[in-house]
Amino acid sequence: MDHRWPLAGAAVTQVLDRVTDGAVTLPGNGSDIERPRPVTTVDLDVLLRRVGSRDAEAFAALYDATRSRVYGMVTRVLRDRGYSEETTQDVYLQVWRTAESYDPASGSALAWLLTLAHRRAVDRVRAEHAAGQRDARYGAVTADRPTDHVSDEVIAGEERQRVAACMEGLTDLQRECLELAYYQGLTYVQVSERLSANLATVKSRMRDGLRGLRNCLGVG
Amino acid sequence: MSQPHSPSADLLELAVPYALHALSDDERDTLEGRVVAAGSAVADAFYDEVRAVRETMAVVSGSDATEPPADLRRRLLAAIADDNVRVLPSKPRRRTAWMSAAAALAIGITAAGIGLWIRPPAPQPSTAQQVFAAADVHTISGAIPAGGTATVVFSRDRNAGVLVMNDVPPPAPGTVYQMWLISDGATTSAGTMDAEAVAPSTTAVLDNLGDSTKLAFTVEPGSGSTRPTGPLIAELPLL
Repeated sequence: MDHRWPLAGAAVTQVLDRVTDGAVTLPGNGSDIERPRPVTTVDLDVLLRRVGSRDAEAFAALYDATRSRVYGMVTRVLRDRGYSEETTQDVYLQVWRTAESYDPASGSALAWLLTLAHRRAVDRVRAEHAAGQRDARYGAVTADRPTDHVSDEVIAGEERQRVAACMEGLTDLQRECLELAYYQGLTYVQVSERLSANLATVKSRMRDGLRGLRNCLGVG
Repeated sequence: MSQPHSPSADLLELAVPYALHALSDDERDTLEGRVVAAGSAVADAFYDEVRAVRETMAVVSGSDATEPPADLRRRLLAAIADDNVRVLPSKPRRRTAWMSAAAALAIGITAAGIGLWIRPPAPQPSTAQQVFAAADVHTISGAIPAGGTATVVFSRDRNAGVLVMNDVPPPAPGTVYQMWLISDGATTSAGTMDAEAVAPSTTAVLDNLGDSTKLAFTVEPGSGSTRPTGPLIAELPLL
């Protein structure tokens, strides 16, 4: 068996610890002196399983620990505040309703959640597109990133920089394929049309890009 | 084990587009079927790669982290407090708890494929039993344009109903049928049914009819929506 893509390990755990730090930080406390510290080590997998047994407190804690990631990703895909709020709400409602189906053997709780959120965001982008309601902004190849990043307390700035650096390490074509597919909701066939590249090229660039990111980020 | 040009190579190179949701729904469904058919070694390799991609993108999500409006938290917590929909895992577990024998007999169906779980567990007698025993029990039935019929047996006295769907085609993969109770100006979710829940017969309990005058059905993505966003497929008057 070729295990070139083993399960994410320490890197994700490290990220989750940071997420957890943020969950107990009061936003806007204005104090840099006292660093936020986790009251307890909250394990998202454990929280998600508690949500599966209808634990509303666990749901609130899971939301607080993950909301900035989910909302940020959804906003980057949808680029509309109203759509993003609705979709984020639907994502977490789906979490509440389907958490019981989460299987830790299939990956981390964070990956499960973001996969679910991305699926819904992509569905929404495609639905808006199909309905002809898609704003011209969606057509732009280069997306405007959300600029109101107020969650530096939640996601450490160094992590943001690390991801940005790893993205920079990709080739333009790899990065463009990921941008169009993951953040603009295009299918890989549409990506190949948009870039006038053949399908095999697009598939291999996507795969190489993901592999580069994974290695750079130390996932697995 | 997989060689660059082995028959499974073209499947494996679709693992990344699959994990990134960069396939059309039809392509995705076809691919999932081919992966299963290719055997467990290929399926393991495929889903290992899918998993790695998703873990990677979960880490990447940190770079776009953006604080949502505080009001969203309030709305969500209120929504889940009232939410009685529970979508069970695909593998059947504990799925006959609330479906009383009386209800099944009264409607003449089996309890196969129930995809909803209504909370809390039915007291005694069950909601369905109460509806069927009510003095003011009504039955409304209508054809679903895509095929099959939907029947609601309801009681205003009991403020509840039982929905039965027969021979309704399952929703497209990745979507559910969602039921909505519509009253003057208000639309409230009354639960969802996924593909597994729909065939061949489905029942669901409708708690709290309130002053609703219609039961509507839409197609919604994922596990349903907070308000109707998809196409309306049927409407039954609750009169």
